[in-house]
Amino acid sequence: MMAWLSDNGLLLGLAVLDGLASAASIFMVAVGLNLVFGVLRILNVAHGSLYAIGAYTAASITLFLTSHGLPVWLSFPALVVAAALVGVILGPLIERVLLKRVEKQEPVLQLLVTFALFMILEDVQKLIWGVQPVSNDTPMRLLGTIDVPFGADVIPFTAYQLFVLPGIALFTLVGLAWFMRRTLTGRVIVAVTTDREAATSQGIDSAKITMLTFTFGAMLAALGGALASPMSSMVPGVGASTIVLSFAVVATAGLGQVEGAAIAAVMIGLGRSIAVYLEPELEVVVPYLIMVLVLLVRPQGLFGVTETRRI
Amino acid sequence: MLRLEKVSVDIAGAPVLRGVDLVVPPGARVALIGRNGAGKTTTLRTLMGLLPARGGISIDGQPCTDAPAHRRAALGIGYAPEERRLFGSFTVLENLRLPAEVLKLPEAELKRRLEMVFGLLPELREFGPRKAAGLSGGQGKMVALGRALMVGTRAVLLDEPFQGLAPALALRYAEALGRLRALLPDVALLITESSPDLLRGLVEQTFVIERGEIQPAAA
Ligand SMILES: Nc1ncnc2c1ncn2[C@@H]1O[C@H](COP(=O)(O)OP(=O)(O)OP(=O)(O)O)[C@@H](O)[C@H]1O
Ligand SMILES: [Mg+2]
Repeated sequence: MMAWLSDNGLLLGLAVLDGLASAASIFMVAVGLNLVFGVLRILNVAHGSLYAIGAYTAASITLFLTSHGLPVWLSFPALVVAAALVGVILGPLIERVLLKRVEKQEPVLQLLVTFALFMILEDVQKLIWGVQPVSNDTPMRLLGTIDVPFGADVIPFTAYQLFVLPGIALFTLVGLAWFMRRTLTGRVIVAVTTDREAATSQGIDSAKITMLTFTFGAMLAALGGALASPMSSMVPGVGASTIVLSFAVVATAGLGQVEGAAIAAVMIGLGRSIAVYLEPELEVVVPYLIMVLVLLVRPQGLFGVTETRRI
Repeated sequence: MLRLEKVSVDIAGAPVLRGVDLVVPPGARVALIGRNGAGKTTTLRTLMGLLPARGGISIDGQPCTDAPAHRRAALGIGYAPEERRLFGSFTVLENLRLPAEVLKLPEAELKRRLEMVFGLLPELREFGPRKAAGLSGGQGKMVALGRALMVGTRAVLLDEPFQGLAPALALRYAEALGRLRALLPDVALLITESSPDLLRGLVEQTFVIERGEIQPAAA
């Protein structure tokens, strides 16, 4: 065991770092997906496209900054600006033009509509950003690396992966929990999620809250993408792999669970990246293996509650 | 004044309300009696704007057949649905405050109404910090009544409030409704029940609903 660890310790350390960083970004996407499902009761397959578009937009803004000789540190706020732009422009557009119209339709039809939207957005991405890999490593290079001793080795952790990404995810987690419990808007979102008709009778404009929440969820997905963009280059298809991963996170945690989604994201993020370093062929299956194992034991997810409605 | 004029409602393609007329004058106490499936809940949901309806619905003379449902609270209509429909993850106090906060009532006014509700239903003060999900069915009914009173300055709609209440609690509930008359004489009450017995002495006007048709009760 010790011999194995000293041989593989460096790899494992890197895997943990990678896993935590990808968990942080997947968490943002999964939490957004959860919020949107809560108010709309539609599983939005195109949610992953918002991640991809957030990532591409962040890269484009950074490219614009550097090619116009603007200060490079602006590439950090650019990540957040990209997410806000994507959310505010695409969120209301998608919700009002498309999803609101199928609000009362069969779930199968709703799913097909979001799938169609996903296909359209994939093409839009190829039209705008092409099919060649696009990268955005400026923010990562700016922060440099930190040498962390690890057994006999020294691992050069990138400060971006070590601090920025987990920091923002943690901030999102705590901030969201606070927002939902302590602000009126948060409680109103919870009310609409719990019982739309009862919320409406209490004076809540559920349609407005739904659009607002959708926009917010879209922003979180785009932020997940923007934050992940400095770590790996974007290629077509990144939206698809993101949505399946965040489905896995949401299913593992249980629908509607914010803190649970964080833990599930860490489990799946770590599982996947450890697989990449140790047994690369397993990378794709590990997240679903974790999900299936959890669901076999607890069908409602790790933290999900089975609703008992008392008359 | 709540008014339904020749209102028809279909649910899932089948007619559920067939051209009903109903008037609830300001401060009136009105019962709507009907057996299971007669259309009581549908009548109240229609008044709350929760179902697409044909015909005329007006509140205080304002036509609102097509007005968005969430505006009802602002018009002073409180509603306690049949199955309570409290928000389980909120405390009782949060449930009571929510509609008033959504209406952006000044804190002083909100507190005043809260005190009025606590005066009428003292147990709600005790329940205040408890999660609504942890209440018994009967306790939940009390909270649902209190919540409806927080915004129901013109009218309060109660859907089978006595259903499932233990006799002692039903008595408490009826007694509270009785005191409401003196406390808030201008607030109209529209109460549905399957039997008129429980509402004896609480209402001065009774309507009967049968297969989606409403008639004044024979005296
Ligand atoms: N969502 C629905 N889908 C189909 N039919 C419905 C629906 N809701 C109500 N109905 C039908 O409309 C009719 C009236 O229902 P409603 O709930 O208004 O009756 P009610 O008088 O409140 O009955 P109860 O005493 O059981 O509460 C019933 O025949 C019922 O089958
Ligand atoms: Mg009913």
